[in-house]
Amino acid sequence: MSNHTHDSQKEVKVEDLLRMKRSERPDEAFWGQFDQELHQRMLQTLVKKDPVHLQIWRTLSGRFTQSVGVACAAAFLALMVVRPAFIGTGSTSVSVAQDSVVFAEAPLVEVAMSEMDVSSLEATRDYSLEGISAEIESNDASFTRDFGMEGFQLAMDADYSSDAASSRPSFGSTGVATTLVY
Amino acid sequence: MATSESVTKTIFPAQEAEVSQRDLDWAVVQKVQSGNVGAYDQLVQKYREQIFSVVYNMTSNREDASDLTQETFIKAFQAIARFKGKSSFFTWVYRIAINTTMTFLKKRSRRRFISYENIDEEVSNSEIFERLTAKNQTEKGALINELQEKLNDALQKLSLKHRTVVILHEIEGLEHAEIAEITKTSVGTVRSRLHYAKQQLQGYLKDYLG
Repeated sequence: MSNHTHDSQKEVKVEDLLRMKRSERPDEAFWGQFDQELHQRMLQTLVKKDPVHLQIWRTLSGRFTQSVGVACAAAFLALMVVRPAFIGTGSTSVSVAQDSVVFAEAPLVEVAMSEMDVSSLEATRDYSLEGISAEIESNDASFTRDFGMEGFQLAMDADYSSDAASSRPSFGSTGVATTLVY
Repeated sequence: MATSESVTKTIFPAQEAEVSQRDLDWAVVQKVQSGNVGAYDQLVQKYREQIFSVVYNMTSNREDASDLTQETFIKAFQAIARFKGKSSFFTWVYRIAINTTMTFLKKRSRRRFISYENIDEEVSNSEIFERLTAKNQTEKGALINELQEKLNDALQKLSLKHRTVVILHEIEGLEHAEIAEITKTSVGTVRSRLHYAKQQLQGYLKDYLG
């Protein structure tokens, strides 16, 4: 048994032969040359020109970036220089528009007033009569107040339900509102 | 009472050393990534001999091995910005070396001349070599040359996959799990390939065995 173990220890195995290959090593001179060559190759890699298609792509992308930059700058200038001028023009046009609104409103108001003169006469006459009659007949102050509030609410409803421009004539043409104004 | 950390250190000292090496390498890699190109030389100096050894044993040609080792480090340098540290630098650079060598050997249509490295004198004084000398009744110098030629020749007869596994395990001394990570295969595949490769080598080197 012990002889068998001793013999097996003496046996040369594949692993033993392969481990001998660990001793196949280059000398120091080899590593000196290796380092020198590696540094040269790495430097060449660092400064090496790219292939043509990469150079073209880089040029194009560079020009694209430049053009995008110029476009951005132009847009910024437009916002900073042209826009205030445009806003100035816009303000005059707005004022003109406001003037035109004023001019446009004036005849409307006049027309409305002229219309109101006719209609409001009747309305004023009717309401005043009713109001007076109500006050006189019932001596109830709350009745007159409630009536006035209803009229005001009606006018307000008319004001909210329409645009500001059109609400004025409608407001003006409302008999109740006219009554309140007067 | 021993803490879990001290227990881990006692049970897995190799793993701990590996982790610290990995951390050290990762610190150097981060230096290179941040623009300190000179720090890359530390990694080259640390791993050049191991990488060269693998490539040399795969090609059996010292000039090719030198070129391919340089190419490996250049490729690693070019790709180091993309290295995220998921594996150790050691595993990563080994993988680059093996892939580069395999691509080279597949492209090489015919077998080139073989040029060997010198064998250290300490081999001739080893116990194994003494036994081989006694068994073959040959002069030491002649036997060394003969054995070197036979070993390289036997390795070249193996397929690339089997050659890689047997070199990484038997010559470089890597664990099965490390080889599996480098070659992107399972541990079972590594063991299987290793077993088959050894069987093949036993047939080629039977004159020196036993």
